[in-house]
Amino acid sequence: MNQKAHTAHMPDIQRDTARFYRTMSAPALVLLTFLFLIPVGIILSKAFITEGGQFSTERLITLIRDPYILRVLRFTVLQASVSTLVSVLIALPGAYLLANFQFRGKSIIRAICTIPFVLPSILVVLGFVIFYGNQGIINTAFVKLFHLSEPPVKILYSFKAVILAHAFYNFPIALGLISSFWEQLPVRYDQAAMVMGARKWTVFRTVTLPRLIPAIISAATLIFLFCFSSFVILLVLGGGPQFTTLEVEIYRRARMTLDIEGAAALSLLSIGFTILLVALHLWSQRLLSHQEEIEQIDERRRGRTPTSPLATISSILYLVLSVIFVLGPLVGIVYRSFQAPVSRSQEMVFSFVWYRQLFGFDRAIGSPLGIAASALVTSIVIAAIATVISLFVGTLLAARLRSKEAGKGASIELYAMLPMAVSSVVIGLGYYLISSTVSHSTMVSRTLIVLAHTVIASPFVLRSILPEYRKIPRSYTQAALTLGATVPQTFSSIDLPLLRPALATGGAFAFALSMGEINATLILSDSSVVTVPIIMYRLIGSYNYAGACALGTILILCCAIVFATIERVRRSSSHA
Amino acid sequence: MEKHLILLVLAVLVVPLALSAQGSQEKAETPTLTVYAYDSFVSEWGPGPLVIPEFEEQTGISVNLVSAGNGGELLSRVELEKHNPRADVVIGIPHELLHETLQSQLFVPYKPQAMQDIPEFLHFDPTHTLVPFNYGNFAFVYDSQQVQHPPQSLDDLLDPKWNRSIILMDPRTSSVGMGLLEWTIAVYGDRYLEWWEDVKPNVLTIADGWSSGYGLFTQGEAPLVISYTTSPVYHLLYEESDRFKSIVFPAGNMAVIEGAGIVASSPHQEEARKFIEYLLTDAQRDIAVANIMYPVNQTTELPEVFQAIPHVQKNLTLDADRINSEREQWLREWVEVMSR
Repeated sequence: MNQKAHTAHMPDIQRDTARFYRTMSAPALVLLTFLFLIPVGIILSKAFITEGGQFSTERLITLIRDPYILRVLRFTVLQASVSTLVSVLIALPGAYLLANFQFRGKSIIRAICTIPFVLPSILVVLGFVIFYGNQGIINTAFVKLFHLSEPPVKILYSFKAVILAHAFYNFPIALGLISSFWEQLPVRYDQAAMVMGARKWTVFRTVTLPRLIPAIISAATLIFLFCFSSFVILLVLGGGPQFTTLEVEIYRRARMTLDIEGAAALSLLSIGFTILLVALHLWSQRLLSHQEEIEQIDERRRGRTPTSPLATISSILYLVLSVIFVLGPLVGIVYRSFQAPVSRSQEMVFSFVWYRQLFGFDRAIGSPLGIAASALVTSIVIAAIATVISLFVGTLLAARLRSKEAGKGASIELYAMLPMAVSSVVIGLGYYLISSTVSHSTMVSRTLIVLAHTVIASPFVLRSILPEYRKIPRSYTQAALTLGATVPQTFSSIDLPLLRPALATGGAFAFALSMGEINATLILSDSSVVTVPIIMYRLIGSYNYAGACALGTILILCCAIVFATIERVRRSSSHA
Repeated sequence: MEKHLILLVLAVLVVPLALSAQGSQEKAETPTLTVYAYDSFVSEWGPGPLVIPEFEEQTGISVNLVSAGNGGELLSRVELEKHNPRADVVIGIPHELLHETLQSQLFVPYKPQAMQDIPEFLHFDPTHTLVPFNYGNFAFVYDSQQVQHPPQSLDDLLDPKWNRSIILMDPRTSSVGMGLLEWTIAVYGDRYLEWWEDVKPNVLTIADGWSSGYGLFTQGEAPLVISYTTSPVYHLLYEESDRFKSIVFPAGNMAVIEGAGIVASSPHQEEARKFIEYLLTDAQRDIAVANIMYPVNQTTELPEVFQAIPHVQKNLTLDADRINSEREQWLREWVEVMSR
């Protein structure tokens, strides 16, 4: 390339590029500010207001000095770290298989793994108990097969059970993010190392793994933040208050004892802590991502099957085990949905009764049912719109962040991650504020719900896209620009096609998050918008667990279809 | 491209505003009573859909029933909306939050005529800022397939034969859990922590809320759970099963009373009073059946299944002021003992 002509163009091109990406990301930042930063900021500011209305940092200082709170904080960090580590470790072999080989059922496996994400945690707990519990499927089978007097599998109600459930929930994040990053990793270096005589394991450890780190960190950050604010799983499956997280204390203050100020102070403490960690991760990721930038994206190179028999056996073993691991609790939910007691006797038999009630074919006494179908449609429409908007928002934010020089733009990235660092209980209080300032019609509620879901899903989309985006060499864009393409053209015909796999991963998670969201929905719906999770929550609240399982089964089925479709799109586009 | 995007941003911001302007015009024409209630009241399976249409028909007042969170959340929400008040009536504040309710000064006292039909022990608020509309008794429920001789007192639950057999709830996140903590304080006074210390080996798990705890119980994880005396009514009514039974302790069962109040800032005081009167009279039966709780009004006729459950012999309660002043300490001590 003619060096002189290139430099003469540069200032223009750079200015255009910067302006384009700045404008593109504006909607994302506006949305985040109005729907998240302002309301949550107002709530959090209450932490500094004393009863007399004065400003004071006393409340926060007391908290930091409270040994009980510090113990809770320590445990919160510990369980989140262990859960993250375990989830990533479980996901790595799977990511390897998905990224390097072509085999039947690959897209189904990916689809199944995303499903736990849409289920409310109370249903996951129930699924775990139905599968692993004392009277659960596994134990009943063992007792019958081997004529035991005691249930042999006793993993529930312990720290192990908590980690297991967290891994069940979260390892799909690591699987999705790492495998889509891995797929597009150039193999040159691996091959070079192998040509020079390095063994496979050495190649993985010294060449591949270091280059996967941006994706691993991306996934780990998300998983850590999820586990940081978990509490239903911890209390129920852990067994009691020795497994208290900060979220329990925030929940108590905000929802049980009318202490919004205390909840705000605690939430600030946890935000401070998570932001510190997120910032650390972002910083390390920035350092690492630039090593990849000079690389070219490799063409498809996947072998059809593993080569050695040992590799074949271990990959089949891994796949079977992980499918059982994910499917177990899901099967539990499906199984329960077909079980109903026979009148007057205690026996449970196979029955469609819960489904008939949900769709209004059977009227249970005093229960006007049949709302499931409309709730399902509402949920899917909301999730689809929220997915599209959050893909839009997330990609634009990623584009802006990637166009920045190294080391800049960290504040925007941190800003975009904030919704994940704040307790959902506090976000809920913020939504009360929003809901009290707007008027209430179904249309307003629907708009607000979609936007709230977008805010929740965008960090996810951003984290799926950004590592991939940073990998695209800038020379591509610059070459196109020098050859006369406009900035938007470059964006849509070079950046976007290269990002498709990451967009598919991010989109699937955004859809799942929106389908399963309940906190914001319940508050903003103002009783006029009824989604599947709301119905499920109400069924459970009115003793009807089997009905909730039936609805959960329908949700699982719908999401499986949607995710499998997304996978198909993703694979066909990567062939193109 | 840039201009389009700016327009898009503006559109996204303007549409809800335009809609809200339209909404507020509608409001001015037909005044409606906005009632905040906990979610299971509003739910398709709750009393809301049964009692609201009848009230609207009787009085010509239209009601906007809003699901606004549970227990303390209802209060938090009204407090947060202080400068933009929406609610006229709030349903479902538990008696133990009476102190906080009075202190917030968000509600206005009103003594309904129906109070005369409500037994004395339910009059928890002498100022009538909150009136009782619904009550229940906490009780241990057992699985008759696994248990032949159910415990008859809190002391009986300490028997080693119940090793890992009881499902409880965390008082920090569950009102049922808080109910049991208060129950032990009502029975044992200052020595309540000894009961908790001793019951630990018998506890299978302490769930975050009633829903997950009771779900584990019906799944057969443990033969005993803390719930309500009325819980078996659900299984009798909707599953025709008498497998799960509640236990009434001769020494008494803790009572939980749910109150309703009129928001002071409401411009519809007259309508709100009518609603409260209706809540305590004609709505009582439907509320009791849908909530599976007891009606407060003694003249209410209940379906037969309610006769099938044992009668509470003694109602235990704690003073709301005492709960307010000592709750923090109780919880702190409880967590200390239970996480050891």
